[in-house]
Amino acid sequence: MRKIFPAEELARDSRFVRQSNEDRMNDPRGARVGGSTGEKLSKLTPNLPNGPDRARALMHGIFVGEIQALEGAGRTCYDFETTTDVPFAMKLDMARQCWDEARHCEISVALAEHMGTEIGEFAENTLLYQAACNPDPVLRLTGVNRALEGLAIDVFNTMKEFGSIAGDPVLEFCEDWMLADEVTHVKMGSDWLRELTLNDKERLTKALEFQKVVDRLFSFNGFRGEDDENPIQLTRRFRELAGFSDEEIDDIAQMSREAAAETVH
Amino acid sequence: MTEIQIEPNSFEMVFFDAEKIANLASEVAQILELGDEQIKLRIDETSSMGRSKVESYEPIILAVDGGAFENTQRPRYLGETRTSETIARLLMRIIDRRSPGFANAPEDDLLDLPLRVAWDTYTAGRLNHLGLSTQKKRRQYQFRNRHGFSDAADEAFTFLWGSPNKLVWADIERISVGCRIALV
Repeated sequence: MRKIFPAEELARDSRFVRQSNEDRMNDPRGARVGGSTGEKLSKLTPNLPNGPDRARALMHGIFVGEIQALEGAGRTCYDFETTTDVPFAMKLDMARQCWDEARHCEISVALAEHMGTEIGEFAENTLLYQAACNPDPVLRLTGVNRALEGLAIDVFNTMKEFGSIAGDPVLEFCEDWMLADEVTHVKMGSDWLRELTLNDKERLTKALEFQKVVDRLFSFNGFRGEDDENPIQLTRRFRELAGFSDEEIDDIAQMSREAAAETVH
Repeated sequence: MTEIQIEPNSFEMVFFDAEKIANLASEVAQILELGDEQIKLRIDETSSMGRSKVESYEPIILAVDGGAFENTQRPRYLGETRTSETIARLLMRIIDRRSPGFANAPEDDLLDLPLRVAWDTYTAGRLNHLGLSTQKKRRQYQFRNRHGFSDAADEAFTFLWGSPNKLVWADIERISVGCRIALV
């Protein structure tokens, strides 16, 4: 079996339609995530006229993201040699994450059905999986477990609040359960980053830079941040629990403001 | 014969075909038996949002975001089913408003979200009978968001969805308000 599996060859059935990064970024109307666009962004709540439809689209994005997270964590178990590349205990954590992500896929399918969404109703973009293809295990772990799983914390908390405000216990509790797992995944990333770069400052710096690149990709248009116009709200408390420092959280918030400003100007 | 005018008649940001949209609108108007009417359809191709509204009832002018006509699997490309459904829902609103049973319905801008969604449910249910709307679960999710995730709201949804051409505005208002009172 080959190592570093390309995103183009991920297995999907005929229900899934893929949108390339080029198509997404070249959309002159503004790149988007979860059904929202660069225009008139606002916090995702049920009170918006299109709130339920935006939540539906986002839920589909979460679903395909869970599939890719499962694929990414699975590849990390296989792509690297035990002891020479990574410790066995780290692979064990990745195997546990696969188990979580598989369960999240099933929960997401059930939630999509609950919200009236069909599998494959929206295009799939594989940006998340591509971040999980970095050949350096430390950079991969940082990009996926700290940047993307960190984003998942923000997304799940926003969706949980959406369910709470709407009085939808199914959405609220499912998101809460998945959120708990995401905090664990990010904590794994924080712990292994520290462990694997203990005596290698340069590698640590490179890994944190890669994390910023990934964070920036997912902050476009001010999609995620802590201002009222950000559809997905940055979740400070859960990020702290997952090993983020206040300074790191401030950086992400600032990055989002800059991304939003770039879109406006 | 319905006369359809698409504005603009060519697109630069999306891969829409004005003639195709006009044909879809014409088919929908025929199914809804709109007769000899002129329909102007204004499309804002710069927006990938899905907003749509009746801009004018007489003459008929519909205004939609490009996103309302988009294929969600292939952004920037026309989704024919979605286009037909969006146009049909707006035209059905016009047909309703022209009937005496809807004379008391508030202006579109004054409709609160639950009432709008309840009316849309009644509309989508009738379109479903005509083969023009398929997303029943999506409509139910929207209805639940505005009327509660409860058995009472689900019963109300089922009633509105399955009531072809026999409700008036007072019925829709009573059902929507009734659900919300039950929530308190």
